Amino acid sequence: MDIRVDTDACVGCGLCVKDCPMDVYELRDGVSVPVKPKNCMGCLSCHEICPAQALEHRGIYPARRHYIDMRVCEMLNRVI
Amino acid sequence: MMTASYIDELHESFHTDIVYRSEDIPLECTPRPSEMEETLHGVMKLNGLIIRSLEEIAGRGANAVTYRAGKKFGHEIAKYFQKRDDVEEALHELSDLLRGQYTFEVWKPEDKENFIIEEDGQTFIYLVFHDCIVRQTLRRNGQEQGGPLCQTLFGYVVGAIEEITGRRAKLEIVHTGPNACLKKLILK
Repeated sequence: MDIRVDTDACVGCGLCVKDCPMDVYELRDGVSVPVKPKNCMGCLSCHEICPAQALEHRGIYPARRHYIDMRVCEMLNRVI
Repeated sequence: MMTASYIDELHESFHTDIVYRSEDIPLECTPRPSEMEETLHGVMKLNGLIIRSLEEIAGRGANAVTYRAGKKFGHEIAKYFQKRDDVEEALHELSDLLRGQYTFEVWKPEDKENFIIEEDGQTFIYLVFHDCIVRQTLRRNGQEQGGPLCQTLFGYVVGAIEEITGRRAKLEIVHTGPNACLKKLILK
């Protein structure tokens, strides 16, 4: 797993550090650093919890998301 | 001992080159849900309501009810499958059984050598559940993960493993997430 942190966006809140059960992240100089990316199992809790949306995972398996209302997504894409 | 080819094959099936960003808005799912969306969402809503009501009435007893229901279902489904002593083969069998509802892979942290881990007198295997109809139902209804509906999956896996291998087993949540959940299959 390749995890990238946007260091300009990261506010150093440490939520990803606390949330990750596999200690993938560490705070260094006020910024989150993925120190054990191989321990990441791709749950994406850190994405959900990151207030700055500073994270990017490469090589992830995206689970099926049939619960999503496609009409809402299409509408959002028209607006954004 | 789990064979390398099976593990590699399993891991390969969950490896992609997809880049996932927080701000991404999905435009499509596979398969496209447009034809079955209303029915599927209806079932999800109904399930969510049943579970919510069960929790309100039975409190913590709801977990026992749903676990029992899942376990019965697991035993029921797996009894038609070949009995095996080997846990690896049983998991392989189970992944075939669950396809379409749940997909999972065996997983280990970087510092562990084997997938079957012995620690503090326990023998266990980590399972990462990727696709899960329970998670989708809960997220559709804005309900928390790890509650009674997750117990049905626990019961299902435990029941099926017990039926296939004849060994007692237990499943524990280690972590729940929007894209995958880490679970511990404890073998007795």
